[in-house]
Amino acid sequence: MSVLLTRRTLRVDRAYAELARGVDGAVALFVGRVRPDRGPRGTVTHLRYEAHRPVALTALTALDRAARARFGASRVVLWHRLGRLGVGTASVIVGCSAPHRAAALAGCRHLIERLKAEVPIWKTEERARPARRRRARPSPRRGR
Amino acid sequence: MARVRVLLFATAREAAGRGRLELTIPEAGARVDAVLEELRDRYPRLAPVLATSRIFVNGESVARRTAPLAPDDELAIHPPYSGG
Repeated sequence: MSVLLTRRTLRVDRAYAELARGVDGAVALFVGRVRPDRGPRGTVTHLRYEAHRPVALTALTALDRAARARFGASRVVLWHRLGRLGVGTASVIVGCSAPHRAAALAGCRHLIERLKAEVPIWKTEERARPARRRRARPSPRRGR
Repeated sequence: MARVRVLLFATAREAAGRGRLELTIPEAGARVDAVLEELRDRYPRLAPVLATSRIFVNGESVARRTAPLAPDDELAIHPPYSGG
């Protein structure tokens, strides 16, 4: 399956197997993961992904076709996870196979950039509140 | 009167407090902008989100907000995308 929106774990080995079914000399893979961004509102612990599924699948399929036409990609993988994901979890796998590395790498880069800009998928952050600093208690004065 | 289904995603859903709803608007003036006006009236917090959102009708992107609507059309509010 070259295009996928799923609540199940994304597996890099399966993406590679999908891309390596032919005899292309180059396979490029990109994996996006949930990172623990820090900010004044705390640190990201989870991201919730949602999609407008029918429109997103149409957009992903159009990206697949465009990458084949523009970069001569033989196989394309555009897999996005949905639901609540913890830090370190793969949220997206994008890949591209082509006869040579230049096309595979350029195609892969192109696909992830366009996916982020053009496919109706959204993430919402969950953050852990920053720990409050405890004020050091003044040490009781010792009488002399 | 025309009944229109509305889907709201991400920040649009948070602003309205719900992900889907139905609106009934006069069939004579049933256009995308009439639905957006009604949404702004009902959910004032949606106004800034609508200003930066793309609108889809029955799965197709709508370039002009004066586009006509038919009964039972599905209008989706797409705030800026953030996948990846």
